[in-house]
Amino acid sequence: MSLSQRLVNWARLKSPWITIFNSGACNACDIEAIATLTPRFDIERFGILSKGSPRHADILIITGPVTRKQALRLRNVYEQMPEPKYVIAMGACGASGGVFKGLYHVVDSVDEVVPVDLYIGGCPPRPDEIIDGVVKCLRCSRRTSPAAGRSGGGRRSVPPRRPSQRRRPQR
Amino acid sequence: MSPLAKGTVAAAFDGLGPVEQVRGNRIRLTTTPGQVRDALTKALRELACDHVIQISAADNGKTFDLIYHLTGPHRTVVAIAVELPRDRPEISTVSDLLPPAGIYERQIHDLLGIVFAGHPGLKRIILNEDWPEGEYPLRKDWKPDPSKFYGGVREGAQ
Repeated sequence: MSLSQRLVNWARLKSPWITIFNSGACNACDIEAIATLTPRFDIERFGILSKGSPRHADILIITGPVTRKQALRLRNVYEQMPEPKYVIAMGACGASGGVFKGLYHVVDSVDEVVPVDLYIGGCPPRPDEIIDGVVKCLRCSRRTSPAAGRSGGGRRSVPPRRPSQRRRPQR
Repeated sequence: MSPLAKGTVAAAFDGLGPVEQVRGNRIRLTTTPGQVRDALTKALRELACDHVIQISAADNGKTFDLIYHLTGPHRTVVAIAVELPRDRPEISTVSDLLPPAGIYERQIHDLLGIVFAGHPGLKRIILNEDWPEGEYPLRKDWKPDPSKFYGGVREGAQ
């Protein structure tokens, strides 16, 4: 890794910018995510800033299961983010579907739509757990050099749906 | 304005069907689908029911229950209940009499497939845009068809 790459990598790790996307959550995760940004938890000491636009963000936090209506919109938001980008699925619904699993209006899992790097469990997760998740996400970004990218320099490919995921909602 | 008495409501809805006081300030008229516009016009003109709270729809297994909940300055909830047959779930719209009812009718049409004849724009509102036509997920006998695509992200699509 050249010096300039190391410098860029260092700067990125010092200030991960996040954007929060509600993909059909009940709002509890959103409230906790907003609570994370308050002075009480003070995530700016880690350099974490919440950005309104996905074009400025390094980490996309998805709250909730992905409804069929939000799936393409979530994909669009993800594709607008600059490389390197990381995705955190938040809450029990983001991790496993939660209480919405198998309903007619949600897709089977978040990683059917965008590749997920980290899941934060909980219903909803506490702000400390969100901070912990973002910091752990930084650790996973430290392992990979941003200049090289994780899929060999090119854009990260969106995973094709696995055959096991081709299930339809069951009643 | 004081709450409506059951007698006042029964007099206004004379000839349209039985009127009962289901709870403290709730009065329900049970009528037929053909008379729902008459009942609503009477509620608007004679009972000062100028506000639609909601239109509730339910699939009870045999028929569709449709209840128009109305209120006004008297704060009494006047409900107009009709039953629709499953094989031909069609009723005339009331969105021209009471414009806010239109959005509830769109929602019911989307989820239960009840047709509101004369509605100016009975388009999709709740379900996703790529939801297949003719599938109504809130019907009790609805089962997802494994050969159909219900929306989301298709394989290979960007």
